[in-house]
Amino acid sequence: MDYDNFNKFIKGPVIDLREATFCDPWFISMVCLLAIERKNDPKKELLLPVSEDVKNYLKRIHFDIFMKEIGYEKFVRELGNINMVERENTNVYEITHSLASDDFNARLTKIRTMFKNFGMNSQDDINRATVLVSELGNNVFDHNLGLWPTDVRGAIIVGQNYPKLKKIEMVVADSGVGFKKSLQLRNPNLNDVEAIKLGLQGITGRVGENRGNGLKLIQDWTINKFNGIVKIQSGSGLVIVDKDGVRSRTVNKILGTLASFVVIYN
Amino acid sequence: MQKFGNILNSRQSGREAFLRAVQIVNGSSVFEEIILDFSGVEVLTPSFADEFLHLLKDKYQNRIINLENTESATVKEILQSIKNESKRQ
Repeated sequence: MDYDNFNKFIKGPVIDLREATFCDPWFISMVCLLAIERKNDPKKELLLPVSEDVKNYLKRIHFDIFMKEIGYEKFVRELGNINMVERENTNVYEITHSLASDDFNARLTKIRTMFKNFGMNSQDDINRATVLVSELGNNVFDHNLGLWPTDVRGAIIVGQNYPKLKKIEMVVADSGVGFKKSLQLRNPNLNDVEAIKLGLQGITGRVGENRGNGLKLIQDWTINKFNGIVKIQSGSGLVIVDKDGVRSRTVNKILGTLASFVVIYN
Repeated sequence: MQKFGNILNSRQSGREAFLRAVQIVNGSSVFEEIILDFSGVEVLTPSFADEFLHLLKDKYQNRIINLENTESATVKEILQSIKNESKRQ
């Protein structure tokens, strides 16, 4: 994902994907958050990619179902006409939108099975990867409780297996308050990058409560058990952590948070 | 612990499980120690474990709490992580 080029897809209320030639879970999740942000704008538009391959991928990953749910039905009608045998591509975890914590919890059994079906052999790794998704999802609900800025609440989950590379990318996105606002009670002067970095160190906005281990553990396991990468964008901050250390930068602002991990298996 | 599920996740579930565990302890005729048997638990998350164990330890400060059958990777590693965190605080 080229962060600097993402601008070309955004023209005010219009999300213009016509030039998109590649899609991955991060890109899809980013578009979902951008669409939520614009959903009540009367001038909103969503222009689908010209590339048939990308359109097929969007259909496979149930992009049209999610977009209908948030009021973009007329813009994704074309995807409804694509006939597809989904079992021919079992390397995706389609966009799921868990509105509540219980709903998310109920999906974990399926997510665990998904890791196995993707080709993870080690039962321990399957269970660890399930914990990674669980903690990212738990954060969505725990840190936005009572604070959701829009009427689209919950966790959006998307995943992709790259079987030749033995690599899985999972993204958990939410249109919530983000790291900065979540940590404002503790420190009102943080910028987005600083807030994400503090969150990754186990500092939590839930002052006085015994919390914060989740993100530390996500980093530890992703890097040390899977030789993987943790990537978080919240507001205008982007932080990437892998075995080479922590890299951060300021990027185009989004509503809410994108949190992802990439794991290498077997 | 398996009675609470083989995937133990979320703080809310940890809190509910704690409340049920208190009922079980209160209903015991002989109360010498608390044994948490993790056999059959395949996935334990930090959120559940943190909530459940801290509440239990706060409630039964003077009692022995033994953890058994913690061989599953996530159970073992999460419990170790919470133990290390408690030592740091």
